[in-house]
Amino acid sequence: MANARILVVDDELIVRESLMGWLRKAGHIVDCAQGGLEALGKIRETEYDLVFLDIKMPDMSGIEVLEKICECSPETMVIMITAYGSVETAVEAMKLGASDYLMKPFEPEHLLVLVDKLLRQKRIIEENILLKEQVAARRVRYQDLVGASPCMQRLFELIEEVAAVDSPVLIRGETGTGKELVAKAIHAKSRRRYGPFVAINCGAFPENLLESELFGFEAGAFTGAVKTRKGRIEMAEGGTLFLDEVGEIPLKMQIDMLRVLEEKRFQRLGGRDFISVDFRCVAATHGNLEEEIRKGNFRKDLYFRLNVIEIEVPPLRERKEDIGLLAEYFLSRFRRETNKSVMAITKDAIEFLESYDWPGNVRELENAIERAVVLAKDKVLTRKDFAFLTRQPDVLDEGDKTLEAVEKHHIARVLEECGWNVSKAARILGINRTTLHNKIKKYNLKDRQQ
Amino acid sequence: MPAQPPTILILPLGRLETLVLRVVAGYIQGILKVPVDIGETVEVPQETYIPDRHQYDAGLLIRFLREFAPSYRCVLGITSVDITLPIFTHVFGEAELGGHAALVSTYRLGKDTHGRRVTDAVFYERVAKVALHEIGHVFSLYHCGDGKCVMRFSAKLDGLDEIPLYFCDRCYFLLRRMIFRNRAGEDT
Repeated sequence: MANARILVVDDELIVRESLMGWLRKAGHIVDCAQGGLEALGKIRETEYDLVFLDIKMPDMSGIEVLEKICECSPETMVIMITAYGSVETAVEAMKLGASDYLMKPFEPEHLLVLVDKLLRQKRIIEENILLKEQVAARRVRYQDLVGASPCMQRLFELIEEVAAVDSPVLIRGETGTGKELVAKAIHAKSRRRYGPFVAINCGAFPENLLESELFGFEAGAFTGAVKTRKGRIEMAEGGTLFLDEVGEIPLKMQIDMLRVLEEKRFQRLGGRDFISVDFRCVAATHGNLEEEIRKGNFRKDLYFRLNVIEIEVPPLRERKEDIGLLAEYFLSRFRRETNKSVMAITKDAIEFLESYDWPGNVRELENAIERAVVLAKDKVLTRKDFAFLTRQPDVLDEGDKTLEAVEKHHIARVLEECGWNVSKAARILGINRTTLHNKIKKYNLKDRQQ
Repeated sequence: MPAQPPTILILPLGRLETLVLRVVAGYIQGILKVPVDIGETVEVPQETYIPDRHQYDAGLLIRFLREFAPSYRCVLGITSVDITLPIFTHVFGEAELGGHAALVSTYRLGKDTHGRRVTDAVFYERVAKVALHEIGHVFSLYHCGDGKCVMRFSAKLDGLDEIPLYFCDRCYFLLRRMIFRNRAGEDT
């Protein structure tokens, strides 16, 4: 793992220079401090992955500095540097929280192995934190794509093929079709699956925030940047970077993004060092990028760099045969999550769901099932539980716009919403029950649940 | 008119076989496609000697080399003495990252892990690998994770024998770009 942020703390210039030189050649970003107080000041300002800490220093002992580091930056790995004869102190330091120790002079190979091992450990800890955050946000659904339709089967095959290579992918599809799930599936099937999956919605940030979110920043880069922070690009090292709504990246920033994708290295905001990165880029859009290129809102060269492999995620209305399967899948999930004993969904309810157009695609279906499960009073979901989806199949024909047709449609809709409670529907319609019964008879309206 | 590549100077530090210098020069010319000159022998400065280690300080030798031939883009010192950095037990070579000077020691490259002499071919190849690796650092290359790249770090002889005598595509691309960039960072 290159590009770690490392601090070397030693009062001997020769040790600082030698270690810094070697670590920089390994591609790390290295700072140094001559003593404990200076080191603690730097640690408060910057998030270090690794600290090399001399045990004997004039202003503070290495053990004291270690204790302070464990308090203020517990995720930082510390390697104690010791001279021959002070191994006992090094062992004591390890009991206090140091990750390892090195006895001078050491084999260069030993340093390589130790740094690699500790940075791998640090990476695993960071990934665990990221995963826990994702679990908390209930977004962990790796390979959670559901679908038996031919178009979804083709999509799964395509994901298998795409996952095997390392080329950039552009995922296209309407809002709510599951573009992020496709990206996660590609990541989970690829050789980068043990690396992180880092997603960013490019449309969710104002321009300057998006830049710092993507590229990270050095302390002092702008007002409020009190501590160095890694950006999403850096966090995606060894894994996959998912750029959702890529069409929303401001034109000015597109050139920086293109450079990162071409050269695989970048600078943090306010930073001078180039940071090399190794990630796979998967982008997604619901818009028409070609149109945006034509309008001058999107760079053609970035488009070609992103669109090496294109994947189209079909809208739900084009795979209605999957609706039953998806409904069962979401029902089972929300049953667990809400702890409600809703066990099944009727065939009629499925048919009703299949007759709906789902402009919000799978996400809208997911929300509909969640709402139905939360509000359900019985163990089985029926068509009545989806009455809130007001766009019923018996919509007006394009040509039928007579007053009678509109009245029939409106009464049917209100009755569906009230679960065919005639008294309630009559109140909403502003007519009495007898009149409503007469109209039901006149228009031959029937409760489909009976 | 095509841009003129910068020249590398090989500087013998102490007594060395001329053939080693010529072989390394040949490898550098062949792989980096830049002109290489071989300079006059310079004595190893005694102030770089670390008496209790019986080794020479590679950091101080680099400082010594830094002052040589500023008109050359890179000065590569080759020496037969054992070199180290004070925190390490030994090093095969040393260089200034993005600087001017690089250094190779042949001291540990002529034997195998059991202390037996290796063939001349293996020896010359090892010296050339360390030289190219250190020159890579002078042109700002970092260690490379690719096992098929001379920029992969190896401080052991068997590891050195495993890496190839060439750069991976990525490192070679970056190296060529840096070679044709002047010290002010502009493309020539």
